[in-house]
Amino acid sequence: MRQNRFAMAVTAAAFLSLAQPAQAADPVVIGVSIAQSPPGSVVQGTQVKDGIEIITKMINDEGGVLGRPLKIVYEDNQGIPEKGRAAVEKLISRDKVVAITGGHQSSVCLAEIEVAHRYKVPYVNTNCWSDDIRAKGYPEVFNPGNYNTRVSTAMAETIGAMKVKNVVAFAENTDYGIGQAKILGELLAKQSPDVKYKYVALDRAGKDFTPAVLPLRANPPDMVVNVMLPPAAYILMNQLYEQGVAPSAKTWFYDGAGIADYPDFWQNVKEAGKYMLAFGLYHPQMPMPDIGQQVGQTYQKEKGHEPNRLIFQGADSVLQIVRAIEQAKSTDASAITQALKDMDYEGVRGKFKFSQEPGYSFQQWVDIPYVTYQLTEVDQPLSKTTLIQATGQPLHADKLVRPSN
Amino acid sequence: MPARPHPNLHTSKLRSEFLLSLAILGALAMVPLLVQSNYWLGVLIVSMYFAMMACGWNLLAGYAGQFSLAPAAFAMLGGYSTGLLAYHLDAPLWIGLPMSIIMPGLVGLVLGRIVLRLSGAYLALTTLSFAEIIRLVIYNSIDFTRGDQGLNVPALYDGRIGNYYIFLGVLTLIVGLIYWLLRLPLGRFLQAIRDDEIGAASRGIDVLRYKTIAFIISCAICGFAGGLYGTFARLVSPELGLIAQTGLVIAMVVIGGMGTLAGPLIGAMLVYTASEFLRDVGGIQMIVFAALVIIFARFFREGLWGLLRRVAVRRAASKGTP
Amino acid sequence: MLALDLFVNGLIIGLYYALMAVGLAMIFGILKIVNFAHGEFYMIGAYTYTLIALGLGVPPWLALPAAALAGALIGWATERWLMRPLYTGYGSWGLMKDEYAVVVTFGLSLLLINLFDKVIGPYPMRGPALWDAPRLSIGPFMMSGQKLITAAVAIILMVSLALFIKRSLWGRQIQAVAQNRLGASIAGIDTARASSIVFMASGVLAAIAGALLAPVINPAPDVGIFPAVKSYVIVVIGGMGSIPGSIIAALLLGVLESFGAVYLSYDYRDTYGLVLLILILLLRPQGLFGERAREV
Repeated sequence: MRQNRFAMAVTAAAFLSLAQPAQAADPVVIGVSIAQSPPGSVVQGTQVKDGIEIITKMINDEGGVLGRPLKIVYEDNQGIPEKGRAAVEKLISRDKVVAITGGHQSSVCLAEIEVAHRYKVPYVNTNCWSDDIRAKGYPEVFNPGNYNTRVSTAMAETIGAMKVKNVVAFAENTDYGIGQAKILGELLAKQSPDVKYKYVALDRAGKDFTPAVLPLRANPPDMVVNVMLPPAAYILMNQLYEQGVAPSAKTWFYDGAGIADYPDFWQNVKEAGKYMLAFGLYHPQMPMPDIGQQVGQTYQKEKGHEPNRLIFQGADSVLQIVRAIEQAKSTDASAITQALKDMDYEGVRGKFKFSQEPGYSFQQWVDIPYVTYQLTEVDQPLSKTTLIQATGQPLHADKLVRPSN
Repeated sequence: MPARPHPNLHTSKLRSEFLLSLAILGALAMVPLLVQSNYWLGVLIVSMYFAMMACGWNLLAGYAGQFSLAPAAFAMLGGYSTGLLAYHLDAPLWIGLPMSIIMPGLVGLVLGRIVLRLSGAYLALTTLSFAEIIRLVIYNSIDFTRGDQGLNVPALYDGRIGNYYIFLGVLTLIVGLIYWLLRLPLGRFLQAIRDDEIGAASRGIDVLRYKTIAFIISCAICGFAGGLYGTFARLVSPELGLIAQTGLVIAMVVIGGMGTLAGPLIGAMLVYTASEFLRDVGGIQMIVFAALVIIFARFFREGLWGLLRRVAVRRAASKGTP
Repeated sequence: MLALDLFVNGLIIGLYYALMAVGLAMIFGILKIVNFAHGEFYMIGAYTYTLIALGLGVPPWLALPAAALAGALIGWATERWLMRPLYTGYGSWGLMKDEYAVVVTFGLSLLLINLFDKVIGPYPMRGPALWDAPRLSIGPFMMSGQKLITAAVAIILMVSLALFIKRSLWGRQIQAVAQNRLGASIAGIDTARASSIVFMASGVLAAIAGALLAPVINPAPDVGIFPAVKSYVIVVIGGMGSIPGSIIAALLLGVLESFGAVYLSYDYRDTYGLVLLILILLLRPQGLFGERAREV
């Protein structure tokens, strides 16, 4: 421990001595740990990376950070907590990064924050939703992304507004999935105690969920909730559709995992996605700051299709670290951490300051904006979906459409 | 004159392998004097974790001829023994770590009794199935094991160099233990079973008993490696038991030299550190190692150690010619 | 009703398992060795089918034989270069031919997984369905068109295999080799060719399984591990040397898992096979239809 602190002090002194604009050529290095191979969610990891690349270019085009170029070092954690731990160790001890970000799978984040906490390096949690990450109360960990309680609260409100009585949730057997399903249950018990709710945990690496779906054919619920990520989510949706369970005239299908804006969504589910309700962190009709619109337009131009929330979340993570460095006028870890804690930040998705309330809101952007929308046609782009509930507004259940069978 | 055991080819070969192993371990002991980087010391520590598993598997497969495909699964079981005790009962390490030896050993006893009666193909099949399924059980039992999130394990010692020497010490003990076992009649019986099981049985060797002993010891060694690794990484997760990890262990032993004392050591240290180097070159390390496994198994059964020995013998012979 | 639904679903899953396992059962039963690269034969079939159908724009029905061909090729190559030495004198491995097969095929498995991971990329793809109907009613049961076709093709293939082995000349030669290799060669049978045929057939079956299931089990470099582990369990339960035994064991496993998932526990679905495996090893180690009667 003493060795580490000494090394960090030396490094900090070295950085500080270099921080005069006149001599800078030494890049500021930020470490990004994402999944770029299975069993991790490669789709998510790629989108986070895309967002980070766009904002990095924008930052460097405007002169970099404190006059120094911004450099990103990527590590592939494969969606495995152990690999995430090793990746962050490597980024901190070998690449000497000033901060870590990019995390998008909760169990990996949980392992990674331990390392960041041990080395006292700031960790900006891009997309790990599990409340446990916040509840640990580590001062190095900042959460500008969504969190399970937010989704569950939104979903509980929607379920209440739609007046459904019998809900079954399918959750992936990870910290994120089970966490969200449990919180939803607790909220429903408090807010709408007449709603019958249960959740079924499914293996995210599973290939066939028919035995779990078949009992629903016998007793169809009013709503099936999805708390699973692709590819298991796609398999589940296809099998629910195949057995005629949901979406159907009797049963709604409501996605709380934000899968509708994945680039491979329609290709994988086709008919099964029509009539799905979605909790959305991004919708083209949401208000967005100029820099956010710029990021979105750059992405649309480069990739030829609509951006999704991960692009913006990735960009926001890096931008916030950069703004913190600029505010602290230093790349020293504790200075960045302090700046992140105190700053009023205006970024890609909006303006906020981290809350210091302990629990799931610790160093979290508590009022993250969200919407609810429904997909009404196969291959429908986000801009054409029906917005059932706009940011901060109540739900308009009359705008919902049911399939005919 | 007091009777002395006949020095024969077997014991002298074993002794020279042991001396070389000690030399390698001694060299490893010097490394922290030259290498200061925490990162590379960490790489060597993980190599030593693999070296322990490699030694354990080599005892079972290389010397006793029993090809279990579950060494990584037993390491995972060892790690989880320590982890579960810490998580559910707050057990300190002086209870948790010995359990990482005992629990896998017990599982090995039960499993061994069932599968060691059967031929080599059955053993491989069932141990592989067992390994994968036990990994899935741990992965899916979220309430008990926290699933893929893994379990936090307390640290044995909080300092990179301290951990380095702890691992080196344990590795040395394991190599010493295997050397001692092989010098006992047990060692010769195991090799007899490997080379000709029916013949060994016909000479009165209780084949099942010795196979089981080797299996239990191998499982216990792998388990302890897993427990120790947990205290280093501070985390155990189902990934420890992936079949790919067993593949690495087998690759290390085959490349280093199966059925030799030093082979697993050479194989583990080389393969793991090389894979860290190769990773920067472009992620082809597993392709290279898998290809080497096939080539070595097909053409060079004795592995690198065998090749080195052949070269050394040839050089000694050419020097000695009058 | 639920139980009937579960039973039919279990049978269909069992047919998938049977298709995966029967190739391994052939190698195990006839050549008495284990092929640990079996899952990768499956993976190669899945990738060939998906890449040809998607990349070349070929209709899926034509991509299926391409997958079969790829399976035959890899099976032939494995036998010719890695397994042949077992019979023609493998020197340093002595009597450990089982163990040699284990190490070499395990190495092959690792090689293939990592090679495909590097060359094609780790991202799972989605194989095109042969029949795009996402849901059909067959009597009281609902299933997708692909499930129906896969079940049908699986049945056809296994019946053909049975006929081939029982009736054709090569089939009977293979039976002879299974019973006594040395005796068969003395009787003038080309044992090397028989081995080749067995490996090729195994490759074809595994590859077609991979192709048919590509829409459901998306091809990825490590997609073969799941079918492989299921196949190992099935082959041991069914009994070494018995192909019908493996088929029955596969169906049994499918139904067991289906019922167990709903009535016992979903999380431990994969353990039911292991429990059955251990029971069989304890009570009837030769498997359900094992090698007592020396027949294929």
